[in-house]
Amino acid sequence: MTLDTYTSLFESTKSDISKVTIPLQLLANFPYRVKEWVGMSTTARTKLEQKNVSLEKERLILLGQLQRSAELAAENLRLRQLLNATELLMQSVLVTEVIGVSPNPVNHNVTVDRGSEDGVYIGQPVLDADGLMGQVVEVYENYSKVLLITDLNHALPVQVLRNGLRSIVEGISDYNEMSLRFVSPTVDIEEGDKLVSSGLGGRFPMGYPVGSVASINQRPGEKFMQIKVTPSAKLDRSRHLLLVFTLKNGDVTRDINE
Amino acid sequence: MNSNSTFQPVLIMLFLALILQFIPLSGDWVFWKPNFLLLMMIAWMLYFPDQYGIEFAVIMGIFADFIFLSTLGYHILIFSICGLILIFFHRIVVYLQLVHRVTLVFLMILLVEFMRAAIDNALDKPLFIEDILALAVISAICWIPLDKVVGHFYSLHK
Repeated sequence: MTLDTYTSLFESTKSDISKVTIPLQLLANFPYRVKEWVGMSTTARTKLEQKNVSLEKERLILLGQLQRSAELAAENLRLRQLLNATELLMQSVLVTEVIGVSPNPVNHNVTVDRGSEDGVYIGQPVLDADGLMGQVVEVYENYSKVLLITDLNHALPVQVLRNGLRSIVEGISDYNEMSLRFVSPTVDIEEGDKLVSSGLGGRFPMGYPVGSVASINQRPGEKFMQIKVTPSAKLDRSRHLLLVFTLKNGDVTRDINE
Repeated sequence: MNSNSTFQPVLIMLFLALILQFIPLSGDWVFWKPNFLLLMMIAWMLYFPDQYGIEFAVIMGIFADFIFLSTLGYHILIFSICGLILIFFHRIVVYLQLVHRVTLVFLMILLVEFMRAAIDNALDKPLFIEDILALAVISAICWIPLDKVVGHFYSLHK
């Protein structure tokens, strides 16, 4: 145990064995796929039509919002160019599906059905419909392993959306809770404040929702406050995720939008 | 009793235990999912202590360490202690009724979870002791079909 805790002697063996377990994860996922297929096959036509209408409405609303965001992005680009900012980032995404979940409740990682063949790389950010999910830590030919932001070994630089206050969110092996570190009692932070990725560290792009402040606890005599954060992403429920490809300005030769 | 004749069922059960272990769950069920590898180990060691001794517990522990991606030695230690307890008590246990064996498994899972909590505490990892009771109850319920299957093999080989 000491050897494994303080050295990386067994890392490659563990990685090889986790590769072998992927078919087992696929098999374990089979009942869910059958359930999904049965659900799809047995849904009434009227229900599907209603769903289609509501999705169409939702699409129109989102397209409207997208137009506004495209305008803001263009404005942001112009301002950055005026400031001679060197790093102008553009992003495209690739849809992926969760095919396996870690059997250990303490390790928060999932296996997704995209790998090096699809251009997935280590450190790549992963999102769901509601926010940041995590980052890719292992890449195989057709599969990848994603470390979730709630994992004990994960930390992420964030900022408060309201005032830009920077901090670090750490996972505590709880899908519904994270911890905000190194926030002194004098700073302006409130319950309900939205946290977004700050982009510092260069791993996660800036501005993606991470979570919101759930509780603030100040113990007398302690240097920093104990702040609990509720993640935005549905970490233990989302099945369809987005792999974010961050491209530098002008480097848009790869068309990976699906 | 021939160990080869039980080797195949052990392999099949190991495969099934792995599939069950990998079934994705959400919410509290993540913490309530029994350790099927441990249950399987207890079942075979309980009914076939001459064939599946402490070595079997160690091998299953190594296996569990790689499957759960835990620190190497973590499950080996837990499974070995469980195995030692089973070896110590197996002469009494084999004459017990199902309800007593279910109680034994319930207590064993409680012990395992407290051991796990103690190791996690020593390794400075988060503790999830609030779900231990629910996990032990669910494990004890899952034990019943497993006991029936392995008991069937035991009666065949007696």
